[in-house]
Amino acid sequence: MSMHDAAIVGYAETKIVEKSERDIWELQAEILDSLLQRTGYEKGEIDGMITSLSMTAAGNPFWSQAVADQLSLELDFCQSIDIGGCSPAAAVVRASLAIDAGLCSTVLCLFADTQASDSSRERPRSIVPEWQQPYGYLGPPAAFGLLSQRYEHQFGLDYTALGKLAVTQRGHAVLNDLACEKLRKPITVEDYLNSRMIADPIRLLDSVMTCDGANGLLVTSKKGAERRGLTKCAVPVGYGERTNYRASESVVDVTETGHLPAGERAFAQAGLKPKDIASFHPYDDFIIAIMIQLEMLGFCKQGHGCDFIKAHDFTHTGDLPLNTGGGQISGGQIGLASGGTNLVEAVRQLFGEGGRRQVGNTGNALVTGIGGIPYGRNWMSSAVMILKADA
Amino acid sequence: MIAINDTLNVRREPPRWRSFSKAFWDATREKRLLLQYDPTSDRYQHFPRACSIVTGSPALEWREVAGKGEIFSYTIARRARPPFAGHEPFFIVLVTLDQGVNVMANMVKCSLEDMKIGLRVKPYWAQLSNGTHLLMFQPDR
Repeated sequence: MSMHDAAIVGYAETKIVEKSERDIWELQAEILDSLLQRTGYEKGEIDGMITSLSMTAAGNPFWSQAVADQLSLELDFCQSIDIGGCSPAAAVVRASLAIDAGLCSTVLCLFADTQASDSSRERPRSIVPEWQQPYGYLGPPAAFGLLSQRYEHQFGLDYTALGKLAVTQRGHAVLNDLACEKLRKPITVEDYLNSRMIADPIRLLDSVMTCDGANGLLVTSKKGAERRGLTKCAVPVGYGERTNYRASESVVDVTETGHLPAGERAFAQAGLKPKDIASFHPYDDFIIAIMIQLEMLGFCKQGHGCDFIKAHDFTHTGDLPLNTGGGQISGGQIGLASGGTNLVEAVRQLFGEGGRRQVGNTGNALVTGIGGIPYGRNWMSSAVMILKADA
Repeated sequence: MIAINDTLNVRREPPRWRSFSKAFWDATREKRLLLQYDPTSDRYQHFPRACSIVTGSPALEWREVAGKGEIFSYTIARRARPPFAGHEPFFIVLVTLDQGVNVMANMVKCSLEDMKIGLRVKPYWAQLSNGTHLLMFQPDR
Protein backbone atom coordinates (compact mmCIF):
# COMPACT_ATOMS: atom_id res chain seq x y z
CA MET A 1 0.00 0.00 0.00
CA SER A 2 1.20 3.45 -0.87
CA MET A 3 0.93 4.80 2.67
CA HIS A 4 3.66 2.37 3.76
CA ASP A 5 6.11 3.99 1.36
CA ALA A 6 6.16 7.22 3.33
CA ALA A 7 8.14 7.93 6.46
CA ILE A 8 8.08 10.49 9.21
CA VAL A 9 11.73 11.51 9.42
CA GLY A 10 11.54 14.26 12.00
CA TYR A 11 9.38 15.70 14.75
CA ALA A 12 9.41 18.98 16.63
CA GLU A 13 7.49 20.48 19.49
CA THR A 14 7.48 23.75 21.37
CA LYS A 15 7.03 24.09 25.09
CA ILE A 16 3.32 24.15 25.90
CA VAL A 17 2.41 27.35 27.75
CA GLU A 18 -0.68 28.79 29.42
CA LYS A 19 -0.54 31.89 27.26
CA SER A 20 2.01 32.46 24.54
CA GLU A 21 3.74 35.81 24.32
CA ARG A 22 4.94 34.79 20.89
CA ASP A 23 2.71 34.98 17.83
CA ILE A 24 1.49 31.79 16.15
CA TRP A 25 3.83 32.34 13.18
CA GLU A 26 6.80 32.57 15.50
CA LEU A 27 5.86 29.21 16.99
CA GLN A 28 5.54 27.77 13.50
CA ALA A 29 8.94 29.16 12.55
CA GLU A 30 10.44 27.41 15.58
CA ILE A 31 8.95 24.11 14.42
CA LEU A 32 10.23 24.60 10.87
CA ASP A 33 13.73 25.46 12.06
CA SER A 34 13.80 22.55 14.46
CA LEU A 35 12.74 20.10 11.74
CA LEU A 36 15.35 21.41 9.30
CA GLN A 37 18.11 21.23 11.93
CA ARG A 38 17.15 17.74 12.89
CA THR A 39 16.80 16.20 9.43
CA GLY A 40 19.40 18.17 7.48
CA TYR A 41 16.84 19.22 4.90
CA GLU A 42 16.97 22.74 3.50
CA LYS A 43 13.89 24.90 3.41
CA GLY A 44 13.82 24.85 -0.39
CA GLU A 45 13.50 21.07 -0.39
CA ILE A 46 10.14 21.23 1.33
CA ASP A 47 7.63 21.19 -1.52
CA GLY A 48 4.48 20.29 0.36
CA MET A 49 2.72 21.58 3.46
CA ILE A 50 -0.38 20.57 5.35
CA THR A 51 -1.35 22.73 8.30
CA SER A 52 -4.08 22.30 10.84
CA LEU A 53 -6.45 25.21 11.26
CA SER A 54 -6.18 27.28 14.42
CA MET A 55 -8.61 29.11 16.64
CA THR A 56 -6.27 32.07 16.29
CA ALA A 57 -6.86 32.17 12.55
CA ALA A 58 -10.53 31.14 12.67
CA GLY A 59 -12.31 32.95 9.90
CA ASN A 60 -9.27 33.22 7.65
CA PRO A 61 -10.18 31.26 4.52
CA PHE A 62 -6.60 31.59 3.21
CA TRP A 63 -4.87 30.03 6.20
CA SER A 64 -2.43 27.60 4.57
CA GLN A 65 -1.39 30.29 2.10
CA ALA A 66 -0.84 32.76 4.92
CA VAL A 67 1.42 30.25 6.66
CA ALA A 68 3.34 29.53 3.46
CA ASP A 69 3.81 33.26 2.96
CA GLN A 70 5.00 33.90 6.52
CA LEU A 71 7.43 30.96 6.45
CA SER A 72 8.43 31.72 2.86
CA LEU A 73 7.75 28.23 1.59
CA GLU A 74 7.46 27.59 -2.18
CA LEU A 75 5.10 24.68 -2.53
CA ASP A 76 3.66 22.25 -5.06
CA PHE A 77 1.08 21.06 -2.54
CA CYS A 78 -0.48 23.40 0.02
CA GLN A 79 -3.56 22.85 2.11
CA SER A 80 -5.04 23.17 5.55
CA ILE A 81 -6.98 20.42 7.22
CA ASP A 82 -10.01 21.01 9.37
CA ILE A 83 -11.16 17.84 11.10
CA GLY A 84 -10.27 19.10 14.56
CA GLY A 85 -8.22 16.79 16.73
CA CYS A 86 -8.00 14.21 13.93
CA SER A 87 -6.15 16.68 11.72
CA PRO A 88 -2.55 15.78 12.65
CA ALA A 89 -2.87 12.03 12.01
CA ALA A 90 -4.96 12.75 8.94
CA ALA A 91 -2.31 15.17 7.72
CA VAL A 92 0.38 12.46 7.83
CA VAL A 93 -1.77 10.14 5.72
CA ARG A 94 -2.67 12.84 3.23
CA ALA A 95 1.00 13.80 2.99
CA SER A 96 1.88 10.16 2.30
CA LEU A 97 -0.72 9.94 -0.44
CA ALA A 98 0.38 13.20 -2.04
CA ILE A 99 3.98 11.97 -2.09
CA ASP A 100 2.95 8.62 -3.55
CA ALA A 101 0.87 10.36 -6.22
CA GLY A 102 3.92 12.34 -7.27
CA LEU A 103 2.47 15.72 -6.31
CA CYS A 104 5.41 16.52 -4.07
CA SER A 105 8.26 14.79 -2.27
CA THR A 106 8.71 16.30 1.18
CA VAL A 107 5.81 17.55 3.25
CA LEU A 108 5.84 19.76 6.31
CA CYS A 109 2.94 18.79 8.59
CA LEU A 110 2.51 21.81 10.81
CA PHE A 111 0.21 22.12 13.81
CA ALA A 112 0.05 25.33 15.81
CA ASP A 113 -2.51 27.24 17.79
CA THR A 114 -2.49 30.15 20.22
CA GLN A 115 -6.14 30.04 21.19
CA ALA A 116 -5.45 30.78 24.86
CA SER A 117 -3.88 34.15 24.09
CA ASP A 118 -5.37 35.00 20.70
CA SER A 119 -8.66 33.48 19.60
CA SER A 120 -10.94 34.92 16.95
CA ARG A 121 -14.20 33.09 16.57
CA GLU A 122 -15.80 35.14 13.84
CA ARG A 123 -19.36 33.98 13.29
CA PRO A 124 -18.73 30.28 12.87
CA ARG A 125 -21.24 28.88 10.43
CA SER A 126 -22.37 25.93 12.46
CA ILE A 127 -25.29 24.56 14.43
CA VAL A 128 -24.05 26.09 17.68
CA PRO A 129 -25.78 29.52 17.69
CA GLU A 130 -29.18 28.17 16.70
CA TRP A 131 -29.46 24.86 18.55
CA GLN A 132 -26.93 24.74 21.39
CA GLN A 133 -26.07 28.26 22.57
CA PRO A 134 -29.69 29.02 23.63
CA TYR A 135 -29.29 26.28 26.24
CA GLY A 136 -26.04 27.49 27.77
CA TYR A 137 -24.20 24.58 26.23
CA LEU A 138 -20.50 25.10 26.89
CA GLY A 139 -19.43 22.70 24.16
CA PRO A 140 -17.07 19.88 25.07
CA PRO A 141 -17.61 19.69 28.88
CA ALA A 142 -21.40 19.47 28.48
CA ALA A 143 -21.06 16.99 25.63
CA PHE A 144 -18.88 14.72 27.73
CA GLY A 145 -21.14 15.21 30.74
CA LEU A 146 -24.06 13.91 28.69
CA LEU A 147 -21.91 11.08 27.32
CA SER A 148 -20.62 10.06 30.77
CA GLN A 149 -24.08 10.08 32.34
CA ARG A 150 -25.34 7.85 29.57
CA TYR A 151 -22.34 5.52 29.88
CA GLU A 152 -22.95 5.21 33.61
CA HIS A 153 -26.62 4.42 32.94
CA GLN A 154 -25.78 1.69 30.44
CA PHE A 155 -22.72 0.05 31.98
CA GLY A 156 -21.93 1.64 35.32
CA LEU A 157 -18.86 3.79 35.81
CA ASP A 158 -16.06 3.36 38.35
CA TYR A 159 -14.59 6.82 38.85
CA THR A 160 -11.53 5.43 40.62
CA ALA A 161 -10.61 3.72 37.33
CA LEU A 162 -10.85 7.03 35.48
CA GLY A 163 -8.83 8.60 38.28
CA LYS A 164 -6.10 6.02 37.73
CA LEU A 165 -5.71 7.22 34.13
CA ALA A 166 -5.59 10.85 35.28
CA VAL A 167 -2.88 10.02 37.82
CA THR A 168 -0.83 8.04 35.28
CA GLN A 169 -0.92 10.82 32.71
CA ARG A 170 0.03 13.37 35.32
CA GLY A 171 3.02 11.27 36.29
CA HIS A 172 4.14 11.32 32.67
CA ALA A 173 3.78 15.11 32.44
CA VAL A 174 6.09 15.44 35.44
CA LEU A 175 8.72 13.65 33.31
CA ASN A 176 8.06 15.86 30.26
CA ASP A 177 9.90 19.19 30.23
CA LEU A 178 7.71 20.47 27.38
CA ALA A 179 4.43 19.95 29.26
CA CYS A 180 2.71 23.02 30.66
CA GLU A 181 4.44 23.88 33.96
CA LYS A 182 1.19 24.49 35.82
CA LEU A 183 0.26 20.85 35.27
CA ARG A 184 3.57 19.24 36.21
CA LYS A 185 2.59 18.40 39.78
CA PRO A 186 1.69 14.84 40.81
CA ILE A 187 -1.93 14.13 41.73
CA THR A 188 -3.69 11.26 43.51
CA VAL A 189 -6.93 9.44 42.77
CA GLU A 190 -8.43 11.34 45.71
CA ASP A 191 -7.41 14.64 44.10
CA TYR A 192 -9.20 13.50 40.96
CA LEU A 193 -12.36 12.44 42.79
CA ASN A 194 -12.44 15.64 44.84
CA SER A 195 -11.80 18.04 41.98
CA ARG A 196 -14.75 20.33 41.34
CA MET A 197 -17.55 19.44 38.97
CA ILE A 198 -17.64 21.25 35.62
CA ALA A 199 -20.56 19.46 33.92
CA ASP A 200 -21.60 16.50 36.08
CA PRO A 201 -20.09 13.98 36.18
CA ILE A 202 -17.17 15.69 34.37
CA ARG A 203 -14.68 17.01 36.89
CA LEU A 204 -11.92 19.57 36.53
CA LEU A 205 -9.29 16.80 36.45
CA ASP A 206 -11.20 15.02 33.66
CA SER A 207 -10.71 18.04 31.46
CA VAL A 208 -8.05 19.70 29.34
CA MET A 209 -6.72 23.17 30.02
CA THR A 210 -6.57 25.53 27.06
CA CYS A 211 -2.95 26.32 26.21
CA ASP A 212 -0.77 27.59 23.39
CA GLY A 213 1.95 25.81 21.46
CA ALA A 214 2.96 24.09 18.25
CA ASN A 215 4.39 20.88 16.88
CA GLY A 216 5.10 19.33 13.53
CA LEU A 217 6.48 16.47 11.48
CA LEU A 218 8.45 16.11 8.28
CA VAL A 219 7.17 13.39 5.94
CA THR A 220 8.99 12.11 2.89
CA SER A 221 9.26 8.88 0.88
CA LYS A 222 10.97 5.97 2.56
CA LYS A 223 13.40 5.79 -0.37
CA GLY A 224 14.15 9.48 -0.01
CA ALA A 225 14.87 9.00 3.67
CA GLU A 226 17.20 6.08 2.92
CA ARG A 227 19.09 8.09 0.31
CA ARG A 228 19.81 10.75 2.90
CA GLY A 229 20.84 8.25 5.52
CA LEU A 230 17.98 9.13 7.86
CA THR A 231 17.81 5.93 9.86
CA LYS A 232 15.18 6.96 12.37
CA CYS A 233 11.78 6.71 10.73
CA ALA A 234 8.19 6.19 11.73
CA VAL A 235 6.01 4.65 9.06
CA PRO A 236 2.19 4.74 8.97
CA VAL A 237 1.24 1.10 8.48
CA GLY A 238 -2.44 1.35 9.33
CA TYR A 239 -4.98 4.14 9.24
CA GLY A 240 -8.72 4.53 9.62
CA GLU A 241 -10.86 7.64 9.76
CA ARG A 242 -14.59 8.10 10.20
CA THR A 243 -16.52 11.36 10.20
CA ASN A 244 -20.15 11.58 11.34
CA TYR A 245 -20.50 7.97 12.49
CA ARG A 246 -24.12 6.78 12.07
CA ALA A 247 -24.96 10.04 10.29
CA SER A 248 -28.36 8.84 9.11
CA GLU A 249 -29.67 7.96 12.57
CA SER A 250 -31.49 10.39 14.83
CA VAL A 251 -30.83 8.61 18.14
CA VAL A 252 -27.39 7.05 18.49
CA ASP A 253 -25.65 5.16 21.29
CA VAL A 254 -23.22 7.85 22.40
CA THR A 255 -20.96 5.23 23.99
CA GLU A 256 -20.09 3.82 20.57
CA THR A 257 -17.85 5.91 18.32
CA GLY A 258 -16.31 6.09 14.88
CA HIS A 259 -13.16 4.57 16.35
CA LEU A 260 -14.89 1.22 16.00
CA PRO A 261 -14.81 1.13 12.17
CA ALA A 262 -11.68 3.29 11.96
CA GLY A 263 -9.83 0.97 14.34
CA GLU A 264 -10.89 -2.17 12.49
CA ARG A 265 -9.51 -0.70 9.29
CA ALA A 266 -6.24 0.46 10.85
CA PHE A 267 -5.54 -2.87 12.58
CA ALA A 268 -6.38 -4.87 9.43
CA GLN A 269 -4.00 -2.75 7.33
CA ALA A 270 -1.23 -3.10 9.89
CA GLY A 271 -1.81 -6.82 10.38
CA LEU A 272 -1.81 -6.27 14.14
CA LYS A 273 -4.14 -6.92 17.07
CA PRO A 274 -4.64 -4.72 20.15
CA LYS A 275 -2.46 -7.11 22.20
CA ASP A 276 0.43 -6.35 19.81
CA ILE A 277 0.39 -2.61 20.55
CA ALA A 278 3.60 -1.44 22.21
CA SER A 279 2.42 2.00 23.29
CA PHE A 280 -0.90 3.82 23.02
CA HIS A 281 -1.29 7.57 22.48
CA PRO A 282 -5.02 8.27 22.45
CA TYR A 283 -6.48 11.72 21.91
CA ASP A 284 -7.46 12.83 25.39
CA ASP A 285 -9.73 15.83 25.71
CA PHE A 286 -11.53 14.13 28.62
CA ILE A 287 -10.44 11.07 30.62
CA ILE A 288 -13.50 9.05 29.67
CA ALA A 289 -12.61 9.44 25.99
CA ILE A 290 -9.52 7.31 26.64
CA MET A 291 -11.59 4.55 28.19
CA ILE A 292 -14.13 4.57 25.38
CA GLN A 293 -11.32 4.34 22.83
CA LEU A 294 -9.86 1.33 24.67
CA GLU A 295 -13.26 -0.31 24.19
CA MET A 296 -13.80 0.75 20.59
CA LEU A 297 -10.31 -0.32 19.51
CA GLY A 298 -10.79 -3.81 20.92
CA PHE A 299 -8.52 -3.73 23.96
CA CYS A 300 -11.63 -4.81 25.87
CA LYS A 301 -15.34 -5.23 25.27
CA GLN A 302 -17.74 -2.28 25.26
CA GLY A 303 -18.75 -1.52 28.84
CA HIS A 304 -15.65 -3.22 30.32
CA GLY A 305 -13.29 -0.25 30.15
CA CYS A 306 -13.08 0.33 33.90
CA ASP A 307 -12.14 -3.29 34.57
CA PHE A 308 -9.50 -3.14 31.85
CA ILE A 309 -8.03 0.05 33.30
CA LYS A 310 -7.79 -1.48 36.75
CA ALA A 311 -6.07 -4.60 35.39
CA HIS A 312 -3.30 -2.81 33.46
CA ASP A 313 -0.34 -0.54 34.09
CA PHE A 314 -0.27 2.46 31.75
CA THR A 315 2.96 4.03 32.99
CA HIS A 316 5.90 4.20 30.58
CA THR A 317 7.30 1.04 32.17
CA GLY A 318 3.91 -0.72 32.29
CA ASP A 319 2.31 -3.32 30.05
CA LEU A 320 0.47 -0.71 27.96
CA PRO A 321 2.29 2.64 28.14
CA LEU A 322 -0.27 5.40 27.50
CA ASN A 323 0.21 9.07 26.58
CA THR A 324 3.75 8.96 27.88
CA GLY A 325 4.22 12.73 27.61
CA GLY A 326 1.20 13.39 29.81
CA GLY A 327 -1.24 13.68 26.93
CA GLN A 328 -3.29 16.83 26.56
CA ILE A 329 -5.01 16.63 29.94
CA SER A 330 -1.73 16.81 31.82
CA GLY A 331 0.38 18.46 29.11
CA GLY A 332 -2.02 21.21 28.03
CA GLN A 333 -4.37 21.39 25.05
CA ILE A 334 -2.98 23.51 22.26
CA GLY A 335 -6.24 24.22 20.48
CA LEU A 336 -6.67 22.72 17.04
CA ALA A 337 -3.02 21.57 17.07
CA SER A 338 -3.61 19.38 20.08
CA GLY A 339 -3.83 16.06 18.25
CA GLY A 340 -0.21 16.64 17.34
CA THR A 341 0.77 16.36 21.00
CA ASN A 342 -0.23 12.68 21.15
CA LEU A 343 1.15 12.02 17.65
CA VAL A 344 4.55 13.63 18.19
CA GLU A 345 4.97 11.74 21.47
CA ALA A 346 4.34 8.45 19.63
CA VAL A 347 7.01 9.33 17.05
CA ARG A 348 9.43 10.39 19.79
CA GLN A 349 8.99 7.00 21.48
CA LEU A 350 9.51 5.11 18.21
CA PHE A 351 12.71 7.08 17.66
CA GLY A 352 13.85 5.95 21.13
CA GLU A 353 14.12 9.55 22.30
CA GLY A 354 11.71 9.43 25.23
CA GLY A 355 14.47 10.09 27.76
CA ARG A 356 13.28 9.56 31.31
CA ARG A 357 9.93 8.31 30.03
CA GLN A 358 11.21 6.07 27.22
CA VAL A 359 9.09 2.94 26.70
CA GLY A 360 10.78 -0.44 26.42
CA ASN A 361 9.08 -1.68 23.26
CA THR A 362 9.50 0.66 20.29
CA GLY A 363 8.15 -1.75 17.69
CA ASN A 364 4.97 0.22 17.08
CA ALA A 365 2.69 2.88 18.47
CA LEU A 366 -1.04 3.49 18.22
CA VAL A 367 -2.25 7.09 17.89
CA THR A 368 -5.80 8.39 17.69
CA GLY A 369 -7.70 11.58 17.01
CA ILE A 370 -11.04 12.99 18.09
CA GLY A 371 -12.47 16.03 16.36
CA GLY A 372 -15.53 18.22 16.63
CA ILE A 373 -18.58 18.22 18.87
CA PRO A 374 -21.85 17.49 17.08
CA TYR A 375 -25.49 17.71 18.20
CA GLY A 376 -26.59 14.89 20.51
CA ARG A 377 -23.74 12.58 19.55
CA ASN A 378 -20.23 11.97 20.87
CA TRP A 379 -17.78 13.48 18.39
CA MET A 380 -17.67 14.29 14.69
CA SER A 381 -14.43 12.63 13.55
CA SER A 382 -12.45 9.64 14.78
CA ALA A 383 -8.97 8.75 13.51
CA VAL A 384 -6.76 5.75 14.26
CA MET A 385 -3.16 5.45 13.11
CA ILE A 386 -0.63 2.70 13.70
CA LEU A 387 3.01 3.64 13.27
CA LYS A 388 5.99 1.33 13.07
CA ALA A 389 9.58 2.27 13.62
CA ASP A 390 11.52 1.95 10.38
CA ALA A 391 9.01 -0.55 8.91
CA MET B 1 -28.99 18.43 47.50
CA ILE B 2 -28.10 21.38 45.28
CA ALA B 3 -30.76 23.69 43.87
CA ILE B 4 -30.93 23.62 40.09
CA ASN B 5 -31.70 26.84 38.24
CA ASP B 6 -34.51 26.63 35.66
CA THR B 7 -32.72 29.30 33.53
CA LEU B 8 -36.01 31.12 32.87
CA ASN B 9 -34.40 34.39 34.00
CA VAL B 10 -31.56 34.09 31.51
CA ARG B 11 -31.83 36.86 28.90
CA ARG B 12 -31.36 34.79 25.77
CA GLU B 13 -31.00 36.41 22.38
CA PRO B 14 -33.40 34.88 19.86
CA PRO B 15 -31.32 32.71 17.55
CA ARG B 16 -31.02 33.51 13.86
CA TRP B 17 -32.75 30.89 11.79
CA ARG B 18 -31.62 29.42 8.49
CA SER B 19 -33.57 29.44 5.23
CA PHE B 20 -34.60 25.85 5.95
CA SER B 21 -35.32 26.20 9.69
CA LYS B 22 -37.62 29.25 9.56
CA ALA B 23 -40.77 27.12 9.67
CA PHE B 24 -39.61 25.59 12.95
CA TRP B 25 -39.14 28.97 14.59
CA ASP B 26 -42.34 30.43 13.13
CA ALA B 27 -44.37 27.60 14.68
CA THR B 28 -42.86 28.29 18.08
CA ARG B 29 -44.72 31.64 18.09
CA GLU B 30 -47.83 29.53 18.76
CA LYS B 31 -45.93 27.08 20.97
CA ARG B 32 -46.22 24.42 18.31
CA LEU B 33 -43.38 21.95 17.79
CA LEU B 34 -42.61 20.99 14.21
CA LEU B 35 -40.24 18.21 13.26
CA GLN B 36 -38.88 17.49 9.83
CA TYR B 37 -40.25 14.27 8.41
CA ASP B 38 -38.83 12.33 5.49
CA PRO B 39 -41.68 10.47 3.75
CA THR B 40 -39.31 8.28 1.75
CA SER B 41 -37.59 6.76 4.75
CA ASP B 42 -40.52 7.29 7.16
CA ARG B 43 -38.17 8.97 9.66
CA TYR B 44 -38.17 12.17 11.66
CA GLN B 45 -35.04 14.24 12.13
CA HIS B 46 -33.86 17.11 14.31
CA PHE B 47 -32.11 19.64 14.19
CA PRO B 48 -33.68 20.88 10.92
CA ARG B 49 -31.48 20.34 7.90
CA ALA B 50 -31.70 21.21 4.22
CA CYS B 51 -31.96 17.55 3.27
CA SER B 52 -32.92 14.13 4.60
CA ILE B 53 -30.27 12.55 6.80
CA VAL B 54 -31.19 9.19 5.25
CA THR B 55 -31.55 9.84 1.52
CA GLY B 56 -30.06 13.30 1.02
CA SER B 57 -33.26 14.45 -0.68
CA PRO B 58 -34.59 17.95 0.07
CA ALA B 59 -38.19 16.63 -0.20
CA LEU B 60 -38.99 16.91 3.51
CA GLU B 61 -42.28 17.66 5.25
CA TRP B 62 -42.99 19.46 8.52
CA ARG B 63 -45.14 17.56 10.99
CA GLU B 64 -46.50 18.89 14.24
CA VAL B 65 -45.75 16.64 17.22
CA ALA B 66 -46.71 16.72 20.89
CA GLY B 67 -43.12 16.95 22.05
CA LYS B 68 -43.41 14.20 24.62
CA GLY B 69 -40.50 11.92 25.27
CA GLU B 70 -37.99 10.77 27.85
CA ILE B 71 -34.62 11.87 29.18
CA PHE B 72 -31.82 10.25 27.14
CA SER B 73 -29.05 11.85 29.19
CA TYR B 74 -28.39 14.95 31.26
CA THR B 75 -25.60 17.01 32.68
CA ILE B 76 -25.46 19.80 35.24
CA ALA B 77 -23.66 22.82 33.87
CA ARG B 78 -21.60 24.31 36.70
CA ARG B 79 -19.86 26.86 34.52
CA ALA B 80 -21.29 28.96 31.74
CA ARG B 81 -20.59 31.92 29.51
CA PRO B 82 -22.85 34.97 29.35
CA PRO B 83 -25.82 35.21 29.38
CA PHE B 84 -25.88 32.00 31.42
CA ALA B 85 -23.01 32.99 33.72
CA GLY B 86 -24.38 33.45 37.24
CA HIS B 87 -27.33 31.14 36.56
CA GLU B 88 -25.42 27.91 37.27
CA PRO B 89 -26.04 25.15 38.08
CA PHE B 90 -28.61 24.23 35.44
CA PHE B 91 -29.60 21.12 33.52
CA ILE B 92 -28.70 20.50 29.91
CA VAL B 93 -30.64 17.48 28.71
CA LEU B 94 -30.99 15.30 25.67
CA VAL B 95 -34.59 14.16 25.23
CA THR B 96 -35.60 11.28 22.99
CA LEU B 97 -38.97 12.35 21.56
CA ASP B 98 -41.53 9.64 20.92
CA GLN B 99 -40.88 10.12 17.19
CA GLY B 100 -37.31 8.85 17.65
CA VAL B 101 -35.19 11.99 17.58
CA ASN B 102 -32.89 13.42 20.23
CA VAL B 103 -33.39 17.08 21.15
CA MET B 104 -31.16 19.24 23.35
CA ALA B 105 -32.77 21.59 25.86
CA ASN B 106 -32.88 22.97 29.39
CA MET B 107 -35.19 21.57 32.04
CA VAL B 108 -37.70 23.43 34.23
CA LYS B 109 -39.75 22.38 37.27
CA CYS B 110 -37.33 19.53 37.91
CA SER B 111 -35.16 18.95 40.98
CA LEU B 112 -31.98 16.93 41.05
CA GLU B 113 -33.93 14.23 42.92
CA ASP B 114 -36.51 14.02 40.13
CA MET B 115 -33.97 13.89 37.33
CA LYS B 116 -33.12 10.50 35.90
CA ILE B 117 -32.52 8.89 32.55
CA GLY B 118 -35.86 7.59 31.32
CA LEU B 119 -37.91 10.35 33.04
CA ARG B 120 -41.00 11.18 30.94
CA VAL B 121 -41.09 14.82 29.84
CA LYS B 122 -43.30 17.26 27.95
CA PRO B 123 -42.53 20.65 26.39
CA TYR B 124 -42.21 23.92 28.22
CA TRP B 125 -42.07 26.99 25.99
CA ALA B 126 -39.90 29.89 27.14
CA GLN B 127 -40.73 33.20 25.51
CA LEU B 128 -38.05 35.02 23.50
CA SER B 129 -38.02 38.75 22.78
CA ASN B 130 -39.02 38.42 19.10
CA GLY B 131 -42.24 36.53 19.82
CA THR B 132 -40.81 33.09 19.18
CA HIS B 133 -40.41 30.54 21.96
CA LEU B 134 -37.54 28.32 22.98
CA LEU B 135 -38.31 24.63 23.44
CA MET B 136 -37.51 23.41 26.94
CA PHE B 137 -38.86 20.45 28.86
CA GLN B 138 -40.60 19.71 32.17
CA PRO B 139 -41.51 16.43 33.89
CA ASP B 140 -44.69 14.87 32.46
CA ARG B 141 -46.32 13.98 35.75
